[in-house]
Amino acid sequence: MAIRELKVCLLGDTGVGKSSIVCRFVQDHFDHNISPTIGASFLTKTVPCGNELHKFLIWDTAGQERFHSLAPMYYRGSAAAVIVYDITKLDSFQTLKKWVKELKEHGPEDIVVAIAGNKNDLGDIREVPMKEAKEFAESIAAIFIETSARNAVNVEELFQKISKQIPPLEHSEVDSNESFKLTRQPAASTRRCC
Amino acid sequence: MAAEDLPSEFDVVILGTGLAESVVAAACSRVGQRVLHLDRNSYYAANWASFTFNGLLTWIQQHHEESQPEEVQDWSSLLEEGEELIYLSYSDSTSISNLQVFCFTSEEDEGEEAQSPDPPNTTEEETAANGDEDAVKAASTDSTNEDPKDKIKEVTDGEGEGQQTADSEGVEPTADLPRPSAIQGQSEASRKKISYAQLVKEGRQFNIDLVSKLMFSRGSLVDLLIKSNVSRYAEFKNVTRILTYRHGNVEQVPCSRADVFASRQLSVVEKRKLMRFLTSCLEETEEQQAYNGRPYLEFLCDQQLGDNLEHFLLHSIAMVTEDTPTEVGLASTRHFLRCLGRYGNTPFLFPVYGLGEIPQCFCRMSAVFGGVYCLRHSVRCLLVDKDNRCKAVIDSRGQRISCSHFVVDSSYVATEQKKVTTPTRFLSRAILITDASILPSNSGQQVSMVTVPPIAAGFPVVMMVELCSSTMTCLPGTYLVHLTCQSVGSAFDDLSPVVTKMFHTPETDDQETRPSVLWCLYFNMADGLDVEVEGHNLPSNVYLCSGPDGHLGHDHAIRQAQLIFQKILPEEDFCPPAPNPEDVLYDGESLLPTGGGGGDNSGWGEKGEETKENPQTEE
Repeated sequence: MAIRELKVCLLGDTGVGKSSIVCRFVQDHFDHNISPTIGASFLTKTVPCGNELHKFLIWDTAGQERFHSLAPMYYRGSAAAVIVYDITKLDSFQTLKKWVKELKEHGPEDIVVAIAGNKNDLGDIREVPMKEAKEFAESIAAIFIETSARNAVNVEELFQKISKQIPPLEHSEVDSNESFKLTRQPAASTRRCC
Repeated sequence: MAAEDLPSEFDVVILGTGLAESVVAAACSRVGQRVLHLDRNSYYAANWASFTFNGLLTWIQQHHEESQPEEVQDWSSLLEEGEELIYLSYSDSTSISNLQVFCFTSEEDEGEEAQSPDPPNTTEEETAANGDEDAVKAASTDSTNEDPKDKIKEVTDGEGEGQQTADSEGVEPTADLPRPSAIQGQSEASRKKISYAQLVKEGRQFNIDLVSKLMFSRGSLVDLLIKSNVSRYAEFKNVTRILTYRHGNVEQVPCSRADVFASRQLSVVEKRKLMRFLTSCLEETEEQQAYNGRPYLEFLCDQQLGDNLEHFLLHSIAMVTEDTPTEVGLASTRHFLRCLGRYGNTPFLFPVYGLGEIPQCFCRMSAVFGGVYCLRHSVRCLLVDKDNRCKAVIDSRGQRISCSHFVVDSSYVATEQKKVTTPTRFLSRAILITDASILPSNSGQQVSMVTVPPIAAGFPVVMMVELCSSTMTCLPGTYLVHLTCQSVGSAFDDLSPVVTKMFHTPETDDQETRPSVLWCLYFNMADGLDVEVEGHNLPSNVYLCSGPDGHLGHDHAIRQAQLIFQKILPEEDFCPPAPNPEDVLYDGESLLPTGGGGGDNSGWGEKGEETKENPQTEE
């Protein structure tokens, strides 16, 4: 099966559980005192989807969202974005629209958007009604799901839903000068001058 | 977001997000320093930034507006005993000058849209475009005037003043618009002009760099990107060909072995001579040493290579001037040759989405290792103790933030604090959006470096880079052309003669076969080459970053960053490899990186393998 790398960027206010969701998805682990993500450029996990394997490269905001200073390069080439809010914090839902706007401004045009209401294990102190969030998600044609990174609820499902919405690979154009990554051992070239 | 306060203690405070500052930030965070990285702008990369078309219009506008007079505030309450204040400059009023904008394409689409100037059901995006049109009238003058010659009115610093405030958010067109079919179906045969309205509407597809440089494939920036693993945040393309302007024509320069053999413009004798020359100059010989101190041109002449080869070797391969000494000419020829073939057929790489990505990549690396980022935030003054060390800074909100080292973009530092040995030199820049390549090819997707020798005595050597849409820097159907040279006069004086010679503008009406200029911008930028890291009237733990320099490569900025890092942390490794994603281990307390960049898939690399086999399995 062909492996297809898909960049997914996470958005949402500080403290809503972005890192916890990734941690649960990638390592199936949860920690109450998770420190801000140090040293992880992005985390990866591969899941099958139809005839393909989807290797998610999940990019965390690395704290750059805290003072609203995410760089446009963060969004470049993303296949999907997960915008996370905390169902126990109305503020974090209200800023969702701001993140959607930012994504529309800087993100790729065909990006798959998912909205995740995290911490649904804390239903007794819920501030954001599920219905309202769902309606908002529908209004922008986004995937909607409530998750609990703590209790491992709907985290796998979130990424499965994203996987399903990723359009199949097109082999339309063959660019003779394709873009590439720089690596430690550059591809040996047959052409050398002199 | 609510005005959350910044933490008040850091090891290193860095002001400005240009390339050198961003590399210092990444290097310091990487080895565990607590870094605060600020920029007064709302965007990253300062004078190294790249903008969408609309973002560039806003930038132009900001540079037309007069800077606000500095509010003198009394910070003495924040002073501790024995401390003194050094004020930083409020805004950067000196690094950019002589902005001139020309729009040579029609304001509106020709055809249907123009016939109904005021449609009853104005959609959101049209309103946005119209709103911006007002903004641009200031720049491109009267839209009702039909004579294109009259549209060549420029905006000088004075004229644009006090006009609209183009809000970049307001003018950004909506993301999910279908691309106009006119652009998709564009071919060389039917060159339907793209209107100004279209440039604005599709403005997001542009990433227009303020500086124009290329990355030498074995240059210090590429080495650093690879060494540090910052390279994984970006993708690159090869510059596909090297061109030169000669006798009124654009010609391809053969530089690799394959090019030399395939070349149709070289005779068999020339091919043999060129191959022999390039092979021989890789090694230093006594013959070459005899020419030390004498012009490289003289050396080339004595090799009896002929006019063709001399031109290629001097202007396009060594990229030096006629009076450059032989040893310098040979050194840059060797550098060129060493860089060939590492990734492609030319020595150069260009980052997809533009050069402005590179500082952002280093900033992300810093953030990943704990660096705190805050745009639209500056430092007002430095607090200096008796030992002439900067102990703390006061930010634009009046908060005292302590630090052990302070790194700053020189444009934040008042002139009287800087010691400059020579008067500031400037670079002349022109940015053109054109409708065709200067040397059309089958694919239409070429990335070209073009060397333009002085067009007449007293004119500078011009470096030109033509980018195609697959570099994600311009709209399909357009090309983005960057011209750069050392200033002799204003950017317009230096570069418009070259533009008029090589492109079709309303002034060159008879040259319809050349690419048409749709829109262009001229400006001067201070050349950072002479600004030193230290030795200014500043505390001993304050380091200056110069801003962009005029060289084609990035060595100047990387060298500066490395020097500053060594001053701050003489014992530490500069940008060691960040761990691979597969090597990051979770130990229950925090995410800790293990080991270096090797291929060791320990930890959840293995787990990743398991999940690949059976992803549904829960514990």
